[in-house]
Order: sequence, then C-alpha cells, then structure tokens
Amino acid sequence: MLKKGKKEEKQRSILEEEQMQSPFRTIIKNLCENKIAMGSAFVFIVIFLMCFILPIWFYQEMNYQDPTQKNIGPGFSFLSVPKELNGNAKAIGVGPTFGVGIDNDGVVYEWGNLTDRLKQIPADMGKVVDIAVGQDHVLAVNEEGKLFTWGFNRMNLNRIPAEVQSKKVKSIAAGYQVSVVVLEDGSVVKWGNENTVDIVDSKTKGENVKLVRINIQTGLALTEDGKLIPLAKRATAFDAVPDEIQGKVKDIVLTDKTALALLEDGSIVCWGSNDFHIKDIPEGVEGHVVSLAAGRNHAVALLDDGTAVAWGGNNNKQAELPSGLKNIEAIYSKYYQNYAVDAEGNITTWGLKGYLFGTDNLGRSVALRLLKGGQMTMTVGFVSVIISLIIGIIIGGISGYYAGKVDIVLMRIAEVVGSLPFIPLALILSALIGNKVSEVGRIIMIMVILGILSWPGVAGMVRAQVLAERQKEFVTAAKALGVREMNIIFRHIVPNVMTIIIVNATLAFATCMLTESGLSFLGFGVGEPIPSWGNMLNNCRSSEVISQFWWRWVFPSIALGLCTISINLFGDGLRKAVDPKSSER
Amino acid sequence: MAKYILKRLAYMVVVFFILSILLFGLFKMVPGDPARMLVEGQKMSVSPEEYEMLYQQARARLGLDKPLVMQYFSWFGNLLSGDFGYSSIYRIPVTELIGPPMKNTICLNIVFYVLLFMITVPLGIKAAVKQNTVFDTTVQVTTIIGISIPSFITALLFIFLFAIKLPIFPISGMVTTGANYTGFRAFTDYLYHLSLPVIVMVFAGLGGLTRYVRGALLDALSMDYVRTARAKGLREKTVIYKHAFRNALIPITGYVVGSIVAIFGGSIIIETLFSWNGVGKLLIDSLMNQDYTVALAMQMFYILLGLIANLVTDLCYCLVDPRIKLE
Repeated sequence: MLKKGKKEEKQRSILEEEQMQSPFRTIIKNLCENKIAMGSAFVFIVIFLMCFILPIWFYQEMNYQDPTQKNIGPGFSFLSVPKELNGNAKAIGVGPTFGVGIDNDGVVYEWGNLTDRLKQIPADMGKVVDIAVGQDHVLAVNEEGKLFTWGFNRMNLNRIPAEVQSKKVKSIAAGYQVSVVVLEDGSVVKWGNENTVDIVDSKTKGENVKLVRINIQTGLALTEDGKLIPLAKRATAFDAVPDEIQGKVKDIVLTDKTALALLEDGSIVCWGSNDFHIKDIPEGVEGHVVSLAAGRNHAVALLDDGTAVAWGGNNNKQAELPSGLKNIEAIYSKYYQNYAVDAEGNITTWGLKGYLFGTDNLGRSVALRLLKGGQMTMTVGFVSVIISLIIGIIIGGISGYYAGKVDIVLMRIAEVVGSLPFIPLALILSALIGNKVSEVGRIIMIMVILGILSWPGVAGMVRAQVLAERQKEFVTAAKALGVREMNIIFRHIVPNVMTIIIVNATLAFATCMLTESGLSFLGFGVGEPIPSWGNMLNNCRSSEVISQFWWRWVFPSIALGLCTISINLFGDGLRKAVDPKSSER
Repeated sequence: MAKYILKRLAYMVVVFFILSILLFGLFKMVPGDPARMLVEGQKMSVSPEEYEMLYQQARARLGLDKPLVMQYFSWFGNLLSGDFGYSSIYRIPVTELIGPPMKNTICLNIVFYVLLFMITVPLGIKAAVKQNTVFDTTVQVTTIIGISIPSFITALLFIFLFAIKLPIFPISGMVTTGANYTGFRAFTDYLYHLSLPVIVMVFAGLGGLTRYVRGALLDALSMDYVRTARAKGLREKTVIYKHAFRNALIPITGYVVGSIVAIFGGSIIIETLFSWNGVGKLLIDSLMNQDYTVALAMQMFYILLGLIANLVTDLCYCLVDPRIKLE
C-alpha cells in the first residue's frame, strides 16, 4: 500500500500537488530542482559574501593614492628574484614595481613589472658594481666608475651630464624621474625632471659628499665627515636635522615623511612626522644597529647579530619579517619591497608581491576597490528596491482595493512617473542636486531617485494582484469581522501576493544595480573617491585605457555582469517556481 | 475614437504642464546667475556703474527681473511657440543647435531598429515554437545574460575586440579625421563609423525583445483558437504562422510603433562612449557644461517623446486589434 502511494506521488501534476503541499513548499521544491537558478543563487551569494566580508581583512583607505604604483598589471612578480641571482647576489636596487640586482660577476638581472624600456639593459657595461633604481629608470656604475642609465628616457633622464661622463663616480641615487650622482671629488650632480623631487645640488658646494638618499619628496646628502645636508629648495620637515648628531652620522634613510639617521654608536635618531608610528623604534635595537633601510612608510634595521627588525607601516605586509632570518649581510628596502641578502648571497624577500587585479590610475588596488565597490553597488540597488517596493505596495494596494476614482487618480500618477524617461531625468536630478551635497548625501540621493522613479512598475503589479484577491472569501470574512480597511489591505491581502512581489523585487534589484552603474559610469552617480562598479569604469573610456590597462575595465565588468546575470537567472527561476503553470502552457 | 484621442491629448497636455512646472522649478534651484555669466567678461573693461547697467540690461534681456511665475509662463509660452531658448555655451538658439544631432540620432536609431527587428522576431518565434527544448532554454538563458549586461560593458568589450585588437571599425567619432570625403564616399564613411555603435546597441537590445516576441507568441499559442485549429487537423505550420503569429503580432506591432517614436531619442550611454554627436550626447554635454537652457529643453523633449510614444502605442493597439475597446 505504502509503496503504491509513493509511486503515485511522483506522477502527480502541479495542480494535484497543490492540494497536498503548501504553496511555499512547492515553490522551494521547484526552485531546488532548477539547477540554473540554484547555481546562480550560489554565485550571487559568493559574490555578496566576498564583498561584505573580505574587506574586514583586506582594506584600503578610501582616499589612498600612490603615484608610484599606478596602472600596474595583475600579477605577483615584484619579488620573484631570478634563480641565477639567488646565491650569488651582490647588490639589489628596489623599484616601485620591480627589482634590479647585480651578482658578484657584475651581471645585471631584472624582475617584476618591467616596462619595455627597462628591459633594454645596455650590453657593454662590463662589470657592474653599484646600482640605483628610480620610478622607472635605472642607474648603474661599473668597476671603472663609469655610469650607465636606461629605462624611462624623457625629462633628459637619458642624457648623462658631461662632467659625470668624464669623472669617476663614487655613489649614485635615483628617485621619481630624477638621477643624482656623487663624483669622486665629493661633488653632487643632479639631472632629470625639475618638478617632481625637490633637490638642489648646489647646496653641497664645498663639502665632500659621501652619498645622497632620495625619497618621494626631496633628498639628503651625507658627507664623509658624518654631516647631513638637506637638499630641498623649499622648507621641508627634513631640514630639522638635530644639531647634536651632525658629524656623528654613519648612514641616513628616508621614508616619505620621516628621516632616520644611524649614528656611529649604533643608535637611531629620527625627525619628521610620526606617521605609521615610524618613530617608535622597537626596544633592544638601540646600539646594535649595523645598517638601516626604509621604504615608503616603514623602516628595517639590520642588527649586529645578523638578524633584522622592521617597524612602521604594514599595509602591504612590508614590516612583517619572515621567520628564520639570520646571518644577514645587507638589507635593501624601498617602496613596499624588502630584500635581505645573507653571507652566502642568498636572498630572502618580503613585502608587496604585486596586485591580484592590478592597480588603477591613482595606484589603488583594483581588487580591493572591486570589493568595496560591490558593497556600494549592491547597497544602492538594495535600498532603492526597498524604497520602490514600499511606495509601490502602498499605492498599488490602495489603488487595487478601493478601485474607482482613487484607482484612476493613483494609476494616472503612476503612469506619469512611469513615462518619465529614466536616465535623462536621473542625470538631471543628480547634476542639479548632487553638487550641493556631500559624497554620502549624493549616494543617498541616488538611492532615493532610483526608488522614486521605479515604483510605478511595482504599483501596477500589486494593484493587479490585489484586484484579483479582493473578491475572495477571506477578504469578505475580514470585512465581516470589522477589520480596518488598511489592515485588510496590508495584513490580509498583501501577504497573499508577497511571492509575486518578491519575484519582481529580485528582478528589479538587478535593474537598479544596472541603472546605478550606468549613472556612475557617466559620472553622475556615486562619486570618487567612493568606489562603485560603475564609477570604476568611468575613467576607462579612452582607447588607451581599454587597450593597455585592460585590467581596469575587465574586472569590474566581469563582477557587475556576473552579479546581475546571476540575480536575473535566479529571479527567472523563482518566477517559474512561483508560477509553474506559466511554463506549462 | 476621436473623443478618446481628444481625451488622451488633453491628459497629455496636463501632464506635460505639470512636469514642465516641476522641471522649471528644479532648474531654477541651480545656483549660478546666467546674467552675471553673460557680462562677467566685460567686468575689467568698463566702469562699475556701466557694468551694473550692463548687468541689469542682461537681466532684463533674459527676463530674470520678472517674478518667477512670470518667468515660467514666458518660458512655457516660448516653448509652445517653438522657441526653446538660447544656448549660453554655443550662443545659438536651441532649435538650431538640436538640428544636426537629431539627424545623427535618427540615422543611428533607424539602422539599429531595422537590424534589431530582423534578428529578434525570427529568433523569438523559433524559441516559442520549440518551447522547452534545448534551443529554447539556450535562448532563454542567453537572453537573460543579454539583459543583465549593461550596454557600456558590451561597448567596452566590442571596442576592445573590434576596434583595437582587430582594427576593423573606428574607435569613436563620426568621420575619418582629415579625410574630407565628399559625396558617396562621405556617406560610406558615415556608415563605417555608424557600424560599431549599431552592433553594440543591437547586442544590448537583443535579449529584451527576443523574450518579448517569445512571450507574445506563447500567449497566442495558449489560446483556445489554436487548440481548435489543431483539432481541425491543420498543419502545425499553418497553426503557428497563420493563426497564432497573426495574433502575436498585436503586441509586437505595439512595440514597433513605440520604437518609431523612440527613434528620436538618442541613447545617452552609447552616444557618449562613441562620441556620436547625437541628441543623447547633447543632453549630457549640456549638463556637463552647465548649459541648463539646452538641458531643460532636451529634458522636455524626452518627456514629450515618452508621452507621445504611450499614446501612439495605445492607439495602435486598438487599430490592429478591434477587440480592444477604448474608454
């Protein structure tokens, strides 16, 4: 008997099944059987969770900008030192997205994110003994003290001044489109872009300079007798060299805003700002420091027992030393990359390896902005759908229940709002009101505009459903019981049509996301620096970006497309599950 | 019928009037003084008294010295008599400004709609006839994907593929720069520049219309007369193309007529992306340049288009389907 009953259940049509199961269970069952709908629900949930959970750990300041890291392609090659160099390294020059190393035989190696010009290493350099790396150019000195340069060649960077070519070079330094050379007689020569890094080489006149250190803003020169000379023309924080250390300085390194001087007794003196707590030198370091290295916002000290200590900014894990570092001979740090070379010439690296999806025109990580932008796009879509639902249900409910004149007036209003051309009007509202409010206010405004302009569809649908329901017995019963009319509409009728409302809301959610993206894409939606998937595409309209910096538009497009496709496929599946008769015609 | 049209027209006028008040008010809320902008350039060359006089003259000329209500009525009156105002950027009347972009937009849209209907109608029919087969499911899923991908992403992708990687089409613009073609050569050059935006628009519009056609035919196929026709023993082809499709044509015709009106309204995103000097680009450019007279006129134009499209679609329904009664 039981067996037979089971068999029958399988053959039941939907009409029969409705008698046996609650409609809700039928919907869930239908939905679970629809593989496309379940798959797309899964995809959407994954995207949603990624956007809302991952930023807790992976986070980038909204206003973060870094000109040295702009337009970098996806990949993690910044620290992939060639095998040939490992075990035989002599010196390493650290660039913003690449590294240049020389081995004990004087051969030059390059790795990381290299431009075509950087790859053109001069062939006839001989044995290279020293190397310095700027934003995207390289300086090299061979054992005869002759200087070579390659890489970025505008701003006269490729033209080595005559006085340098004729003399022997003592030390070299390079910065953002600027090269500095210290000659054997202790004089300093600088060339390159005059406007980026503020360095005046004539400030060292009459001094015997040992080396020059450059950061993103300016430079400092260290003389042979341990004196420091700030090289900036304008007043900077680096000018405040403490008087008591003049003459005792062994080495100097610069982060973006702070100078750290290593004295002959192994202690460290800092001046400048205390961003990223760079002045809080770890305990047990003072007196044992052999050499110093520094990046954009962190510092690394090599101690006399062959170990190292790092502190300061850690946004790219550049101050997190790998365990087991010992017998270090030298440390090379700049930007966010670090290289430690031990006595055998082995290289240990840590810091910024690269960017998963590359960076945009302001040096912000596309992957991190994608997560934040997803939050924004989904929130805007969700809130505007809720707004349109609230208005639509109220107006549709009242209009459907009362019918007659109320219905005519309300539906005419809905028709007017519905016939408004959507994007032009949203553009104008955003342009007119948007200028006066803050960024957050602007986002709220976008949500409200989207919600207010898209309720007529919901209202029409709710009205049609309510019109069909209001004749049914349960409404008559509620009326007979004396239930208030508002309660009949919103507590008795609307819950009965909720499934269809939810289906439509799902589809409207995708539409609102698309509209927000369209507005942001045109520059009238969510404004910079707050990311959204649409405004990440806003500055990708030029053919240069489309062809060369493809990662800037491909990844946001994929994210947006995947998200809306999965919502729509799920919504479609939901519609079929709610109303199975529609596909059984 | 005539009574119904009159009623609808009267309703349209009322709606247009209300919306014009709303929009006029909105544009008046914008900070900035157009009269001040007009005379700002002369501030250095004339004495303060003369400057003040010039400013007052400019105010009077622009009608800004009158109360807001009067300003509205004079603006609305001008609008009805075909005077849309004066562009503060290009320094020519809006009616003159709108001419060439309108021509470009119409050209773009006619090619677009012709191609769109040629592709979607057969596709939709086939999907409906082969309902619940692999073909239908594939069409269903791909059209949802088509609906879900915004046109600017399609555009970026197509520019990347067909203008940069395979340089078949120009990236943007309307004429080959520096070529100065004339006659037939100019015409083909124009078509050449038109192709990529049209292809993108067709791709973006494919999904929605295919589903619409499919739905319309499915509705028709579920009718009793189709069952009767089948019961009579008619051939399936006759049932579908003679009985069902003719009835499915009703909503499709409505859509076609609606699109005829839509030809005049440019797609803002596509025209901006491809630097196609059309109506949509004019609207966004005027907003960017804060040329609000043009923006307001364009907005009223878009609203009018929307209202006309509604009316024409409704009228068309009752023309092709006598069962629909107008009230």
